[in-house]
Amino acid sequence: MLKYRNKMALFRSIRFNIYVGLAIAIAAAVGTLVPQTPESPANVETFQLHHPALSHFYHFLGFFDLYHSPWFMGLLALMAFDIVLCKLWNRPPDPDVVSLPPEETKEAEAEKHLSMKAEALRLKPLKAVLVAKTPYREAAAKAREMLRARGYHLREEFSLPQGSAFLATRHRPQRWGSYTTHIALVVILLGALIKGVWGFTEMIPVLEGSSRAVQNIPQWSVHVDHFRVRYYPGTMNPSSYESDVRLTDGGKLLAAKTIHVNDPLDYQGVRFYQASWGAGGMFRKVLLEIGGKAMELAQRRAEAIPGLPFRVEADMMLPDFTITPDGRPDTASLEPKNPAVRFAFFLGKNKTRALWLFMNFPKVCLVEDEDGRLSHAPPPPFRLAGIEPILFSGIQTAYDPGYKVVAAGGILWLCGTVLLFYLHRRRLWVLVEPRRKGSKEEMESSPIRLSVGGFGSRGPKAYAAEFDSIIRAFETELSGHAEIQESRNNIQEVV
Amino acid sequence: MELALAKAAFAFYAAAMALAFLYLFYKDDKWSLWMLRLMGVGVLLQSASFGFRMHSFWLIPENRYFLPINSFFGALSYLSLAVAAVFYFVEGRHRLGILGAFVLPWPVIGLGSALIWADPKTSGLVPALQSYWINIHPVVLMTSYAAFGNAFGVGLALLVQEHQIKSRKPSELCYRLPSIEELDDLNYHIIAAAWPVLTVGIIMGGVWAYNAWGRFWGWDPKETWALITALIYAGYLHMRYVGRLRGKKAIYVSMVGFASVVFTFLGVNFLSGLHAYLSGGA
Repeated sequence: MLKYRNKMALFRSIRFNIYVGLAIAIAAAVGTLVPQTPESPANVETFQLHHPALSHFYHFLGFFDLYHSPWFMGLLALMAFDIVLCKLWNRPPDPDVVSLPPEETKEAEAEKHLSMKAEALRLKPLKAVLVAKTPYREAAAKAREMLRARGYHLREEFSLPQGSAFLATRHRPQRWGSYTTHIALVVILLGALIKGVWGFTEMIPVLEGSSRAVQNIPQWSVHVDHFRVRYYPGTMNPSSYESDVRLTDGGKLLAAKTIHVNDPLDYQGVRFYQASWGAGGMFRKVLLEIGGKAMELAQRRAEAIPGLPFRVEADMMLPDFTITPDGRPDTASLEPKNPAVRFAFFLGKNKTRALWLFMNFPKVCLVEDEDGRLSHAPPPPFRLAGIEPILFSGIQTAYDPGYKVVAAGGILWLCGTVLLFYLHRRRLWVLVEPRRKGSKEEMESSPIRLSVGGFGSRGPKAYAAEFDSIIRAFETELSGHAEIQESRNNIQEVV
Repeated sequence: MELALAKAAFAFYAAAMALAFLYLFYKDDKWSLWMLRLMGVGVLLQSASFGFRMHSFWLIPENRYFLPINSFFGALSYLSLAVAAVFYFVEGRHRLGILGAFVLPWPVIGLGSALIWADPKTSGLVPALQSYWINIHPVVLMTSYAAFGNAFGVGLALLVQEHQIKSRKPSELCYRLPSIEELDDLNYHIIAAAWPVLTVGIIMGGVWAYNAWGRFWGWDPKETWALITALIYAGYLHMRYVGRLRGKKAIYVSMVGFASVVFTFLGVNFLSGLHAYLSGGA
């Protein structure tokens, strides 16, 4: 057993765990600098193309999916394991938290205190010895009363003929802070583990008016009946977007809701979020204005132009038109910020070259040759007057059974850190002894010697001022004279 | 009005900073007293400026009643206001006098760069930000950043003092600066007060992310760097509390933490990711 404990000593050492934390921090930083497969697979591919040798190495180390790599998970698990070990095994931050062994009753403790007398107090970082005229029988009660008035809780009072002693404390719950905070961290990590094992997330882009199956629960289908996007006036910046969503199982309706960003549909813990939206290049119809007359065109359906021997077809739309460095059409995003439609004209069976027309730039016309390269053309006698694109709604679907655990851990963390950092735990050990020994009566009326030891969770420096004022108050209250000693050693006693 | 008030606040901060530097070299407590007063006026002026910003921000109905911190200008002016307010609080309480020279450059730089480079125009919030969490999560985090900025200033003062004490001819400055022990304690107390705020702010972000994006944690660069910051300061707290690390070494660790704070706030915007909301930069 002893050997085992020694082996575990490494994991219980704070220094080792600071290194573990440092390793996690460095690894996490690396992950923000190397492209990550789950977030941006395209960037990973580009990176691999440009740095083939380095990529091999990175791939071996799992850098492209660092946060899910076994070694990173291992580091997090190690941290959790060490925290549990530290908190269970190490010297408790305050012996108060762990109950005393049964044989150490209050009386036994009292005897111990009294037999050690001032010796015990000498170990405290702050201490004072006061010689006072107040008779022994009144002194302890007076001192207690004074501390109570200052908000101290009085504990473990005991009285024996040769002296009486008591313990006074403030902000005692602070002693739970360290435990609670560390346990909270483990709980949060457990919640994340639960999600990793039983949870899932998937992105389901659904075209307006259609439906798609949830991959992780294939019998469920998500229908987007309507999708709406609104813009801030005069801009192409969306002010809100929402989908009327139905969730079905076979033909059966499970749930229906209009989902917004920040307001998902929740069905049995599976949540459907309005995550994104866009135009994929499909449209219901476009309006082409020729010689003042508008023509409606459905996608990829050629129509004859009235009064002309041509037929025209609208075959493709790009929502956010841009030109690639090698001169080909492309889209910069899926939002219809700069929509453009490609038209093909037919004379008999001969197809003329394709023209790109723009919603926002009626005077611009680009010609696309057979290779797909673009060149400028003179303004045409027709204009793109309107587009009715078919939008898709990006529905992020997530099941996270660990969330409640994580949330509970978060609340624990809040409580723990508030206790640990915002409460200032103070303890005063007060020992009152009669200066004259003799018969009981003689002792009761004897002047006293009062020894006080103080401990503050923020260290002696932070407690010194209050400690001083308490001792001064004792001086006036008990009409005596005190000598205060502050430990030169400005080291906080415990965790 | 908003800009005029912000410029006036900037002038007061700059004047207070000048007084703080004067105080470094001339032994006169009236400089430090006037510095504190100027800071008080500056904080008031900037609060008023921020109030006007809120007013114009709320003219857009979707923005009601969220805080205007969705642009570089808004975020930087909030942050410098928070640094100034935290400083005013710490200085008003501890009256170290000397601290101003090390902390005041932060709000001056923050507000100054906002006025010079950032676009003060307000715009409508993107849908993801239209949540009451925007009034909590970034505000809590930026408040902790402000406190870390103050701690960094205290750390600088400690390094200067250490240098003074070790040099053969310590100058006047040595006697003006508080003792190394005092500075070390102050640095620690500020960090100990700000660290829970930082971590709770991160957890709140997780709760928001769960409601907006469908996951509590996604290793987005901003999240990750906030976590790195928290880990570095956690290391500092453990080293100091348990490992009994004091003085220069402890200060270096806390300064690495602050470098991480700056990177989390500014640098991460160059790494993109879901948190790339700040608009209207240089």
